[in-house]
Amino acid sequence: MELVIALGMNGIVWGLIIALIALGLSIIFGLLDIINIAHGDFFMVGTVLAWFVLDTTGNYWLAFLIVPIIGFAMGVVIEYTVIQPIKNAAALSIVATFGLSIILQEGVRATFGAAPTRLVPPIQSTIQMFGLEYEVYRLFAAAVSIAAILLFFGFLHRTKMGTWMRAVRYDPETATAMGIPARKIYMITFALGFAMAALGGVVAAPITTVDFQAGVDILPFCFMAVIIGGLGNLEGTVAAAVMLAFFEGVMASFADPTIARIGSLCLMSIVLLIRPHGIFAGATR
Amino acid sequence: MLELVDVHAHYGKVHVLQGSSLRVEDGETVALLGRNGVGKTTTLKTIMGLVPASGGAVVFNGTDLTKIAPHRIPGQGIGYVPQGRGIFPTLSVLENLEIGLPKSPPPEVMDHVFERFPRLKERLGQSGGTLSGGEQQMLAIARCLVLKPRLLILDEPTEGIMPILVQDIRREIAAVNKAGVSILLVEQNIKTALKLCSRIYIMEKGAVVHEARAEDLKDDKDTLHRYLGVTI
Ligand SMILES: Nc1ncnc2c1ncn2[C@@H]1O[C@H](COP(=O)(O)OP(=O)(O)O)[C@@H](O)[C@H]1O
Ligand SMILES: [Mg+2]
Repeated sequence: MELVIALGMNGIVWGLIIALIALGLSIIFGLLDIINIAHGDFFMVGTVLAWFVLDTTGNYWLAFLIVPIIGFAMGVVIEYTVIQPIKNAAALSIVATFGLSIILQEGVRATFGAAPTRLVPPIQSTIQMFGLEYEVYRLFAAAVSIAAILLFFGFLHRTKMGTWMRAVRYDPETATAMGIPARKIYMITFALGFAMAALGGVVAAPITTVDFQAGVDILPFCFMAVIIGGLGNLEGTVAAAVMLAFFEGVMASFADPTIARIGSLCLMSIVLLIRPHGIFAGATR
Repeated sequence: MLELVDVHAHYGKVHVLQGSSLRVEDGETVALLGRNGVGKTTTLKTIMGLVPASGGAVVFNGTDLTKIAPHRIPGQGIGYVPQGRGIFPTLSVLENLEIGLPKSPPPEVMDHVFERFPRLKERLGQSGGTLSGGEQQMLAIARCLVLKPRLLILDEPTEGIMPILVQDIRREIAAVNKAGVSILLVEQNIKTALKLCSRIYIMEKGAVVHEARAEDLKDDKDTLHRYLGVTI
Protein backbone atom coordinates (compact mmCIF):
# COMPACT_ATOMS: atom_id res chain seq x y z
CA MET A 1 0.00 0.00 0.00
CA GLU A 2 2.81 2.38 0.87
CA LEU A 3 4.34 1.64 -2.50
CA VAL A 4 1.08 2.53 -4.23
CA ILE A 5 0.92 5.85 -2.38
CA ALA A 6 4.57 6.64 -3.05
CA LEU A 7 4.36 5.83 -6.75
CA GLY A 8 1.02 7.57 -7.04
CA MET A 9 2.56 10.70 -5.54
CA ASN A 10 5.59 10.35 -7.78
CA GLY A 11 3.15 10.08 -10.65
CA ILE A 12 1.43 13.32 -9.74
CA VAL A 13 4.77 15.11 -9.40
CA TRP A 14 5.86 13.79 -12.77
CA GLY A 15 2.48 14.70 -14.21
CA LEU A 16 2.93 18.32 -13.15
CA ILE A 17 6.40 18.45 -14.70
CA ILE A 18 5.07 16.83 -17.87
CA ALA A 19 2.17 19.29 -17.86
CA LEU A 20 4.64 22.17 -17.92
CA ILE A 21 6.54 20.61 -20.82
CA ALA A 22 3.41 19.57 -22.69
CA LEU A 23 2.01 23.10 -22.41
CA GLY A 24 5.01 24.25 -24.40
CA LEU A 25 4.31 21.58 -26.99
CA SER A 26 0.66 22.58 -27.07
CA ILE A 27 1.21 26.31 -27.63
CA ILE A 28 3.73 25.59 -30.39
CA PHE A 29 1.23 23.32 -32.09
CA GLY A 30 -1.71 25.63 -31.47
CA LEU A 31 -0.08 28.80 -32.76
CA LEU A 32 2.39 27.64 -35.37
CA ASP A 33 0.78 24.39 -36.52
CA ILE A 34 4.16 22.79 -35.92
CA ILE A 35 4.24 19.18 -34.74
CA ASN A 36 7.40 19.47 -32.72
CA ILE A 37 9.18 16.13 -32.65
CA ALA A 38 12.15 17.83 -30.98
CA HIS A 39 10.16 18.93 -27.94
CA GLY A 40 11.43 16.09 -25.76
CA ASP A 41 14.93 17.18 -26.66
CA PHE A 42 14.19 20.71 -25.51
CA PHE A 43 13.49 19.10 -22.15
CA MET A 44 16.69 17.05 -22.45
CA VAL A 45 18.71 20.19 -23.22
CA GLY A 46 17.21 21.66 -20.04
CA THR A 47 18.39 18.72 -17.92
CA VAL A 48 21.89 18.82 -19.42
CA LEU A 49 22.20 22.57 -19.01
CA ALA A 50 21.02 22.21 -15.41
CA TRP A 51 23.74 19.64 -14.81
CA PHE A 52 26.24 21.95 -16.51
CA VAL A 53 25.26 24.90 -14.32
CA LEU A 54 25.60 22.74 -11.21
CA ASP A 55 28.92 21.41 -12.42
CA THR A 56 30.44 24.82 -13.15
CA THR A 57 28.94 26.97 -10.38
CA GLY A 58 28.13 24.38 -7.73
CA ASN A 59 24.79 26.10 -7.26
CA TYR A 60 21.75 24.25 -8.58
CA TRP A 61 19.32 27.09 -7.83
CA LEU A 62 21.01 29.21 -10.46
CA ALA A 63 19.84 26.73 -13.09
CA PHE A 64 16.19 27.59 -12.39
CA LEU A 65 16.95 31.13 -13.51
CA ILE A 66 19.57 30.67 -16.21
CA VAL A 67 18.40 27.58 -18.08
CA PRO A 68 14.95 28.86 -19.12
CA ILE A 69 16.63 32.02 -20.40
CA ILE A 70 19.11 29.99 -22.45
CA GLY A 71 16.20 27.84 -23.64
CA PHE A 72 14.31 30.95 -24.72
CA ALA A 73 17.33 32.22 -26.64
CA MET A 74 17.84 28.85 -28.33
CA GLY A 75 14.14 28.87 -29.17
CA VAL A 76 14.50 32.25 -30.89
CA VAL A 77 17.42 31.01 -32.97
CA ILE A 78 15.71 27.74 -33.91
CA GLU A 79 12.47 29.46 -34.80
CA TYR A 80 14.34 31.78 -37.11
CA THR A 81 16.51 29.14 -38.77
CA VAL A 82 14.35 26.01 -38.79
CA ILE A 83 10.71 26.89 -38.22
CA GLN A 84 10.21 30.10 -40.21
CA PRO A 85 11.28 28.57 -43.51
CA ILE A 86 8.74 25.72 -43.20
CA LYS A 87 5.84 27.69 -41.75
CA ASN A 88 2.51 26.56 -43.20
CA ALA A 89 3.74 23.10 -44.14
CA ALA A 90 2.69 20.74 -41.36
CA ALA A 91 4.15 17.65 -43.03
CA LEU A 92 7.54 19.30 -43.40
CA SER A 93 7.44 20.34 -39.77
CA ILE A 94 7.67 16.70 -38.71
CA VAL A 95 10.70 16.06 -40.89
CA ALA A 96 12.40 19.31 -39.93
CA THR A 97 11.88 18.93 -36.20
CA PHE A 98 12.90 15.28 -36.40
CA GLY A 99 16.17 16.45 -37.92
CA LEU A 100 16.42 19.07 -35.20
CA SER A 101 15.90 16.33 -32.63
CA ILE A 102 18.84 14.35 -34.01
CA ILE A 103 21.02 17.45 -34.11
CA LEU A 104 20.24 18.28 -30.47
CA GLN A 105 20.79 14.72 -29.26
CA GLU A 106 24.01 14.21 -31.15
CA GLY A 107 25.16 17.71 -30.26
CA VAL A 108 24.76 16.89 -26.58
CA ARG A 109 26.42 13.51 -26.99
CA ALA A 110 29.37 15.13 -28.76
CA THR A 111 29.86 17.88 -26.15
CA PHE A 112 28.72 16.45 -22.83
CA GLY A 113 29.30 12.78 -23.54
CA ALA A 114 27.01 9.80 -23.69
CA ALA A 115 27.24 8.54 -20.12
CA PRO A 116 24.08 9.05 -18.07
CA THR A 117 24.57 11.19 -14.98
CA ARG A 118 22.57 11.39 -11.79
CA LEU A 119 22.34 14.63 -9.89
CA VAL A 120 22.05 14.97 -6.16
CA PRO A 121 18.87 16.93 -5.43
CA PRO A 122 19.57 20.38 -3.99
CA ILE A 123 17.17 19.53 -1.16
CA GLN A 124 17.94 16.17 0.39
CA SER A 125 15.63 15.99 3.37
CA THR A 126 12.57 13.83 3.57
CA ILE A 127 9.26 14.45 5.22
CA GLN A 128 6.73 12.17 6.90
CA MET A 129 3.61 11.97 4.71
CA PHE A 130 0.77 9.45 4.51
CA GLY A 131 2.86 7.06 6.56
CA LEU A 132 5.94 7.23 4.37
CA GLU A 133 9.17 9.17 4.09
CA TYR A 134 8.77 11.40 1.06
CA GLU A 135 11.52 13.39 -0.64
CA VAL A 136 11.06 17.11 -0.05
CA TYR A 137 12.65 17.89 -3.41
CA ARG A 138 9.80 16.15 -5.22
CA LEU A 139 7.31 18.34 -3.38
CA PHE A 140 9.41 21.33 -4.33
CA ALA A 141 9.44 20.15 -7.95
CA ALA A 142 5.65 19.94 -7.91
CA ALA A 143 5.41 23.42 -6.41
CA VAL A 144 7.73 24.94 -9.02
CA SER A 145 5.77 23.26 -11.81
CA ILE A 146 2.46 24.50 -10.46
CA ALA A 147 3.84 28.01 -10.06
CA ALA A 148 5.21 28.01 -13.61
CA ILE A 149 1.94 26.71 -15.02
CA LEU A 150 -0.05 29.37 -13.15
CA LEU A 151 2.38 32.06 -14.28
CA PHE A 152 1.96 30.90 -17.84
CA PHE A 153 -1.82 31.09 -17.68
CA GLY A 154 -1.57 34.50 -16.02
CA PHE A 155 0.69 35.63 -18.84
CA LEU A 156 -1.71 34.27 -21.45
CA HIS A 157 -4.81 35.88 -19.99
CA ARG A 158 -3.58 39.00 -18.22
CA THR A 159 -0.91 40.50 -20.46
CA LYS A 160 -1.08 42.17 -23.85
CA MET A 161 1.38 39.70 -25.31
CA GLY A 162 -0.80 36.84 -24.08
CA THR A 163 -3.91 38.42 -25.58
CA TRP A 164 -2.05 38.87 -28.85
CA MET A 165 -1.04 35.20 -28.78
CA ARG A 166 -4.66 34.15 -28.37
CA ALA A 167 -5.70 36.51 -31.17
CA VAL A 168 -3.00 35.33 -33.58
CA ARG A 169 -3.87 31.78 -32.78
CA TYR A 170 -7.50 32.30 -33.66
CA ASP A 171 -7.06 34.43 -36.78
CA PRO A 172 -3.55 35.52 -37.78
CA GLU A 173 -4.78 37.52 -40.75
CA THR A 174 -7.20 39.72 -38.84
CA ALA A 175 -4.66 40.01 -36.04
CA THR A 176 -2.13 41.37 -38.52
CA ALA A 177 -4.72 43.79 -39.89
CA MET A 178 -5.14 45.07 -36.32
CA GLY A 179 -1.43 45.81 -36.13
CA ILE A 180 -0.26 42.73 -34.25
CA PRO A 181 3.23 41.60 -35.33
CA ALA A 182 2.28 37.97 -35.96
CA ARG A 183 5.82 37.01 -37.02
CA LYS A 184 7.19 38.17 -33.69
CA ILE A 185 4.40 36.42 -31.81
CA TYR A 186 5.29 33.14 -33.50
CA MET A 187 8.90 33.55 -32.51
CA ILE A 188 8.10 34.40 -28.90
CA THR A 189 5.65 31.50 -28.67
CA PHE A 190 8.17 29.00 -29.96
CA ALA A 191 10.87 30.37 -27.66
CA LEU A 192 8.48 30.26 -24.71
CA GLY A 193 7.67 26.65 -25.54
CA PHE A 194 11.38 25.83 -25.49
CA ALA A 195 11.88 27.74 -22.23
CA MET A 196 9.03 25.84 -20.57
CA ALA A 197 10.44 22.47 -21.65
CA ALA A 198 13.90 23.55 -20.48
CA LEU A 199 12.52 24.61 -17.09
CA GLY A 200 10.84 21.22 -16.91
CA GLY A 201 14.30 19.77 -17.48
CA VAL A 202 15.78 21.74 -14.59
CA VAL A 203 12.97 20.67 -12.28
CA ALA A 204 13.21 17.03 -13.33
CA ALA A 205 16.99 16.57 -13.61
CA PRO A 206 17.56 15.67 -9.91
CA ILE A 207 14.85 12.98 -9.99
CA THR A 208 15.74 11.36 -13.29
CA THR A 209 18.85 10.49 -15.24
CA VAL A 210 20.55 13.14 -17.31
CA ASP A 211 21.71 12.03 -20.72
CA PHE A 212 21.28 12.83 -24.37
CA GLN A 213 18.31 10.50 -24.69
CA ALA A 214 16.35 11.86 -21.74
CA GLY A 215 13.80 13.41 -24.09
CA VAL A 216 12.97 10.23 -25.97
CA ASP A 217 10.65 8.98 -23.26
CA ILE A 218 9.11 12.37 -22.53
CA LEU A 219 7.92 13.13 -26.05
CA PRO A 220 5.21 10.46 -26.44
CA PHE A 221 3.97 11.23 -22.97
CA CYS A 222 3.61 14.91 -23.84
CA PHE A 223 1.80 14.06 -27.06
CA MET A 224 -0.57 11.80 -25.15
CA ALA A 225 -1.33 14.60 -22.72
CA VAL A 226 -1.95 17.08 -25.51
CA ILE A 227 -4.19 14.68 -27.43
CA ILE A 228 -6.17 13.38 -24.48
CA GLY A 229 -6.56 16.90 -23.14
CA GLY A 230 -8.15 17.92 -26.42
CA LEU A 231 -5.89 19.37 -29.12
CA GLY A 232 -5.18 22.98 -28.33
CA ASN A 233 -7.00 22.90 -25.01
CA LEU A 234 -4.31 24.10 -22.62
CA GLU A 235 -6.16 23.45 -19.37
CA GLY A 236 -7.05 20.01 -20.70
CA THR A 237 -3.39 19.31 -21.42
CA VAL A 238 -2.48 20.01 -17.80
CA ALA A 239 -5.28 17.85 -16.42
CA ALA A 240 -4.51 14.99 -18.81
CA ALA A 241 -0.79 15.04 -18.00
CA VAL A 242 -1.42 14.77 -14.27
CA MET A 243 -4.06 12.07 -14.70
CA LEU A 244 -1.93 10.01 -17.05
CA ALA A 245 1.17 10.17 -14.90
CA PHE A 246 -0.79 9.32 -11.77
CA PHE A 247 -2.36 6.38 -13.59
CA GLU A 248 1.02 5.14 -14.80
CA GLY A 249 2.52 5.62 -11.33
CA VAL A 250 -0.17 3.56 -9.66
CA MET A 251 0.03 0.91 -12.39
CA ALA A 252 3.80 0.75 -11.99
CA SER A 253 3.39 -0.11 -8.32
CA PHE A 254 2.07 -3.55 -9.21
CA ALA A 255 3.25 -4.01 -12.79
CA ASP A 256 6.31 -3.49 -14.90
CA PRO A 257 6.77 0.14 -16.12
CA THR A 258 6.45 -1.13 -19.68
CA ILE A 259 3.09 -2.65 -18.81
CA ALA A 260 2.15 0.64 -17.19
CA ARG A 261 2.95 2.50 -20.40
CA ILE A 262 0.94 -0.03 -22.38
CA GLY A 263 -1.87 0.57 -19.91
CA SER A 264 -1.84 4.31 -20.47
CA LEU A 265 -1.68 3.87 -24.24
CA CYS A 266 -4.76 1.63 -23.95
CA LEU A 267 -6.37 4.30 -21.79
CA MET A 268 -5.63 6.88 -24.47
CA SER A 269 -7.14 4.65 -27.15
CA ILE A 270 -10.29 4.12 -25.11
CA VAL A 271 -10.61 7.84 -24.40
CA LEU A 272 -10.20 8.66 -28.07
CA LEU A 273 -12.72 6.02 -29.08
CA ILE A 274 -15.29 7.53 -26.77
CA ARG A 275 -14.28 11.17 -27.21
CA PRO A 276 -12.35 11.55 -30.45
CA HIS A 277 -11.44 15.15 -29.68
CA GLY A 278 -10.12 14.44 -26.20
CA ILE A 279 -11.68 14.49 -22.77
CA PHE A 280 -11.90 18.24 -22.56
CA ALA A 281 -12.77 19.09 -26.15
CA GLY A 282 -15.18 21.95 -26.38
CA ALA A 283 -14.30 23.23 -22.93
CA THR A 284 -12.46 26.52 -22.51
CA ARG A 285 -9.73 27.41 -24.93
CA MET B 1 -4.98 59.99 -49.75
CA LEU B 2 -5.20 56.40 -51.00
CA GLU B 3 -4.34 55.42 -54.51
CA LEU B 4 -4.11 51.96 -56.05
CA VAL B 5 -2.18 51.97 -59.28
CA ASP B 6 -2.55 48.91 -61.50
CA VAL B 7 -2.43 46.45 -58.60
CA HIS B 8 -1.98 42.76 -59.32
CA ALA B 9 -2.22 39.84 -56.90
CA HIS B 10 -2.01 36.06 -57.06
CA TYR B 11 -3.28 33.21 -54.92
CA GLY B 12 -0.63 30.66 -55.72
CA LYS B 13 -0.59 30.57 -59.50
CA VAL B 14 -4.08 32.05 -59.89
CA HIS B 15 -3.92 35.62 -61.12
CA VAL B 16 -6.78 37.10 -59.11
CA LEU B 17 -6.20 40.86 -59.29
CA GLN B 18 -5.36 41.84 -62.83
CA GLY B 19 -4.74 45.53 -62.58
CA SER B 20 -6.99 47.30 -60.11
CA SER B 21 -6.78 51.06 -59.85
CA LEU B 22 -8.78 53.33 -57.61
CA ARG B 23 -8.50 56.47 -55.53
CA VAL B 24 -9.95 57.74 -52.26
CA GLU B 25 -9.59 61.44 -51.48
CA ASP B 26 -9.46 63.05 -48.05
CA GLY B 27 -12.86 62.88 -46.37
CA GLU B 28 -14.44 61.03 -49.27
CA THR B 29 -16.79 58.03 -49.15
CA VAL B 30 -16.09 55.59 -51.94
CA ALA B 31 -17.76 52.28 -52.70
CA LEU B 32 -16.32 49.29 -54.51
CA LEU B 33 -19.01 47.12 -56.03
CA GLY B 34 -19.07 43.98 -58.10
CA ARG B 35 -20.47 40.49 -58.22
CA ASN B 36 -19.31 37.72 -55.93
CA GLY B 37 -15.79 36.54 -56.61
CA VAL B 38 -14.60 39.46 -58.76
CA GLY B 39 -11.85 40.33 -56.29
CA LYS B 40 -13.23 43.04 -54.01
CA THR B 41 -12.04 41.37 -50.81
CA THR B 42 -8.69 40.60 -52.40
CA THR B 43 -8.32 44.27 -53.35
CA LEU B 44 -8.88 45.29 -49.73
CA LYS B 45 -6.51 42.59 -48.46
CA THR B 46 -3.86 43.83 -50.84
CA ILE B 47 -4.24 47.32 -49.40
CA MET B 48 -3.77 45.87 -45.90
CA GLY B 49 -0.79 43.79 -47.02
CA LEU B 50 -2.59 40.55 -46.14
CA VAL B 51 -2.25 39.41 -49.74
CA PRO B 52 1.05 40.54 -51.25
CA ALA B 53 0.76 42.66 -54.36
CA SER B 54 2.58 41.03 -57.25
CA GLY B 55 2.59 44.24 -59.21
CA GLY B 56 1.56 47.89 -59.03
CA ALA B 57 1.54 50.23 -56.04
CA VAL B 58 -0.71 51.03 -53.09
CA VAL B 59 0.11 54.56 -52.06
CA PHE B 60 -1.30 56.00 -48.84
CA ASN B 61 -0.37 59.58 -47.98
CA GLY B 62 2.85 59.22 -49.92
CA THR B 63 3.85 55.81 -48.52
CA ASP B 64 3.86 52.73 -50.73
CA LEU B 65 2.11 50.21 -48.49
CA THR B 66 3.38 47.27 -50.53
CA LYS B 67 6.87 48.11 -49.24
CA ILE B 68 6.17 47.98 -45.49
CA ALA B 69 5.40 45.14 -43.09
CA PRO B 70 1.65 44.33 -43.06
CA HIS B 71 1.29 44.81 -39.30
CA ARG B 72 2.56 48.39 -39.65
CA ILE B 73 -0.17 49.36 -42.10
CA PRO B 74 -2.90 50.04 -39.47
CA GLY B 75 -0.43 52.39 -37.79
CA GLN B 76 -0.29 54.44 -40.98
CA GLY B 77 -3.91 55.40 -40.25
CA ILE B 78 -5.99 52.73 -41.93
CA GLY B 79 -8.74 50.85 -40.08
CA TYR B 80 -9.95 47.58 -41.59
CA VAL B 81 -13.25 45.85 -40.90
CA PRO B 82 -12.90 42.46 -42.59
CA GLN B 83 -15.66 40.51 -44.29
CA GLY B 84 -17.39 38.47 -41.59
CA ARG B 85 -16.28 41.07 -39.02
CA GLY B 86 -13.20 39.26 -37.72
CA ILE B 87 -14.10 39.44 -34.05
CA PHE B 88 -11.98 37.17 -31.84
CA PRO B 89 -14.75 35.09 -30.24
CA THR B 90 -12.67 33.76 -27.33
CA LEU B 91 -11.38 37.19 -26.39
CA SER B 92 -13.52 39.49 -24.26
CA VAL B 93 -15.20 42.50 -25.78
CA LEU B 94 -12.70 44.74 -24.00
CA GLU B 95 -9.76 42.69 -25.26
CA ASN B 96 -11.17 42.91 -28.78
CA LEU B 97 -11.63 46.62 -28.42
CA GLU B 98 -8.07 47.26 -27.29
CA ILE B 99 -6.43 44.63 -29.48
CA GLY B 100 -4.70 47.07 -31.77
CA LEU B 101 -3.02 49.05 -29.01
CA PRO B 102 0.08 48.02 -27.10
CA LYS B 103 -1.40 49.51 -23.92
CA SER B 104 -4.86 50.40 -22.72
CA PRO B 105 -5.93 53.63 -24.42
CA PRO B 106 -6.42 56.80 -22.38
CA PRO B 107 -9.87 56.99 -20.76
CA GLU B 108 -11.07 59.84 -22.97
CA VAL B 109 -10.61 57.67 -26.08
CA MET B 110 -12.61 54.89 -24.48
CA ASP B 111 -15.29 57.33 -23.25
CA HIS B 112 -15.64 58.60 -26.78
CA VAL B 113 -16.08 55.06 -28.10
CA PHE B 114 -18.59 54.14 -25.38
CA GLU B 115 -20.57 57.29 -26.03
CA ARG B 116 -21.01 56.14 -29.59
CA PHE B 117 -21.47 52.45 -28.77
CA PRO B 118 -23.16 52.29 -25.36
CA ARG B 119 -24.12 48.64 -25.83
CA LEU B 120 -20.48 47.61 -25.96
CA LYS B 121 -19.83 49.24 -22.61
CA GLU B 122 -22.41 46.98 -20.96
CA ARG B 123 -20.74 43.91 -22.42
CA LEU B 124 -17.03 44.51 -21.90
CA GLY B 125 -16.47 41.35 -19.87
CA GLN B 126 -18.38 39.03 -22.20
CA SER B 127 -16.51 37.08 -24.81
CA GLY B 128 -16.75 38.49 -28.33
CA GLY B 129 -18.44 35.35 -29.61
CA THR B 130 -21.53 35.97 -27.47
CA LEU B 131 -22.38 39.24 -29.22
CA SER B 132 -25.05 39.40 -31.90
CA GLY B 133 -24.01 40.01 -35.49
CA GLY B 134 -24.91 43.69 -35.27
CA GLU B 135 -23.02 44.14 -32.01
CA GLN B 136 -19.99 42.38 -33.47
CA GLN B 137 -20.07 44.75 -36.42
CA MET B 138 -20.16 47.72 -34.05
CA LEU B 139 -17.24 46.20 -32.14
CA ALA B 140 -15.31 45.68 -35.36
CA ILE B 141 -15.79 49.35 -36.23
CA ALA B 142 -15.13 50.53 -32.68
CA ARG B 143 -11.80 48.72 -32.36
CA CYS B 144 -10.63 50.52 -35.49
CA LEU B 145 -11.78 53.91 -34.18
CA VAL B 146 -9.74 53.39 -31.04
CA LEU B 147 -6.71 53.57 -33.34
CA LYS B 148 -7.86 56.94 -34.73
CA PRO B 149 -7.68 56.03 -38.41
CA ARG B 150 -7.80 58.54 -41.25
CA LEU B 151 -9.32 55.96 -43.59
CA LEU B 152 -11.76 53.21 -42.67
CA ILE B 153 -12.09 50.23 -44.99
CA LEU B 154 -15.18 48.06 -44.59
CA ASP B 155 -15.81 44.76 -46.37
CA GLU B 156 -19.55 44.06 -46.62
CA PRO B 157 -20.43 45.41 -43.17
CA THR B 158 -24.14 44.75 -43.60
CA GLU B 159 -23.72 41.14 -44.75
CA GLY B 160 -25.70 38.80 -42.52
CA ILE B 161 -27.04 41.61 -40.35
CA MET B 162 -30.73 41.77 -39.48
CA PRO B 163 -32.45 44.27 -41.81
CA ILE B 164 -33.54 46.56 -38.98
CA LEU B 165 -29.91 46.88 -37.85
CA VAL B 166 -28.58 47.67 -41.31
CA GLN B 167 -29.77 51.24 -40.86
CA ASP B 168 -27.85 51.53 -37.60
CA ILE B 169 -24.66 50.43 -39.26
CA ARG B 170 -25.22 52.77 -42.16
CA ARG B 171 -25.73 55.60 -39.67
CA GLU B 172 -22.52 54.70 -37.84
CA ILE B 173 -20.49 54.71 -41.02
CA ALA B 174 -21.94 58.07 -41.97
CA ALA B 175 -21.09 59.40 -38.51
CA VAL B 176 -17.52 58.15 -38.75
CA ASN B 177 -17.15 59.89 -42.08
CA LYS B 178 -18.65 63.08 -40.66
CA ALA B 179 -15.92 63.05 -38.04
CA GLY B 180 -13.41 63.38 -40.85
CA VAL B 181 -12.51 59.77 -41.63
CA SER B 182 -12.48 58.72 -45.28
CA ILE B 183 -14.43 55.57 -46.13
CA LEU B 184 -13.76 52.79 -48.61
CA LEU B 185 -16.75 50.49 -48.61
CA VAL B 186 -17.26 47.14 -50.31
CA GLU B 187 -20.94 46.26 -50.46
CA GLN B 188 -23.34 43.79 -51.98
CA ASN B 189 -26.18 45.97 -50.80
CA ILE B 190 -26.22 48.58 -53.56
CA LYS B 191 -28.75 50.73 -51.79
CA THR B 192 -26.40 51.09 -48.83
CA ALA B 193 -23.53 51.95 -51.15
CA LEU B 194 -25.52 54.55 -53.08
CA LYS B 195 -26.83 56.12 -49.88
CA LEU B 196 -23.45 56.38 -48.20
CA CYS B 197 -20.99 57.02 -50.96
CA SER B 198 -20.36 59.83 -53.36
CA ARG B 199 -18.23 57.87 -55.79
CA ILE B 200 -18.54 54.27 -56.94
CA TYR B 201 -16.10 51.87 -58.55
CA ILE B 202 -17.27 48.67 -60.18
CA MET B 203 -15.04 45.61 -60.48
CA GLU B 204 -15.23 42.73 -62.87
CA LYS B 205 -12.88 39.75 -63.20
CA GLY B 206 -10.14 41.17 -61.05
CA ALA B 207 -10.06 44.71 -62.38
CA VAL B 208 -11.87 47.99 -61.77
CA VAL B 209 -13.81 48.55 -64.96
CA HIS B 210 -16.15 51.43 -64.21
CA GLU B 211 -16.17 54.61 -62.18
CA ALA B 212 -19.19 56.79 -61.57
CA ARG B 213 -20.67 59.38 -59.25
CA ALA B 214 -23.35 57.83 -57.07
CA GLU B 215 -26.09 60.14 -58.31
CA ASP B 216 -25.29 59.24 -61.92
CA LEU B 217 -25.12 55.51 -61.27
CA LYS B 218 -28.49 55.60 -59.57
CA ASP B 219 -30.15 56.28 -62.91
CA ASP B 220 -27.76 54.26 -65.07
CA LYS B 221 -29.87 51.14 -65.30
CA ASP B 222 -27.71 49.71 -68.06
CA THR B 223 -24.49 49.74 -66.09
CA LEU B 224 -26.13 48.46 -62.94
CA HIS B 225 -27.62 45.60 -64.87
CA ARG B 226 -24.52 44.79 -66.87
CA TYR B 227 -21.99 44.69 -64.04
CA LEU B 228 -24.05 43.96 -61.00
CA GLY B 229 -27.01 42.09 -62.42
CA VAL B 230 -29.51 44.23 -60.56
CA THR B 231 -32.41 46.34 -61.52
CA ILE B 232 -33.47 49.11 -59.19
N1 LIG C 1 -7.44 32.27 -50.14
C1 LIG C 1 -7.75 32.08 -51.43
N2 LIG C 1 -7.09 31.17 -52.16
C2 LIG C 1 -7.37 30.97 -53.48
N3 LIG C 1 -8.28 31.67 -54.14
C3 LIG C 1 -8.98 32.59 -53.47
C4 LIG C 1 -8.75 32.86 -52.09
N4 LIG C 1 -9.57 33.83 -51.69
C5 LIG C 1 -10.30 34.16 -52.78
N5 LIG C 1 -9.95 33.44 -53.85
C6 LIG C 1 -10.49 33.56 -55.21
O1 LIG C 1 -10.19 34.85 -55.70
C7 LIG C 1 -11.30 35.40 -56.38
C8 LIG C 1 -11.67 36.73 -55.77
O2 LIG C 1 -12.18 36.52 -54.46
P1 LIG C 1 -12.64 37.70 -53.51
O3 LIG C 1 -11.62 38.77 -53.55
O4 LIG C 1 -12.97 37.11 -52.20
O5 LIG C 1 -13.95 38.19 -54.25
P2 LIG C 1 -15.14 39.11 -53.73
O6 LIG C 1 -14.76 39.70 -52.42
O7 LIG C 1 -15.31 40.12 -54.80
O8 LIG C 1 -16.35 38.24 -53.63
C9 LIG C 1 -12.40 34.37 -56.34
O9 LIG C 1 -12.39 33.67 -57.55
C10 LIG C 1 -12.01 33.46 -55.21
O10 LIG C 1 -12.44 32.16 -55.47
MG1 LIG D 1 -15.65 39.45 -50.55
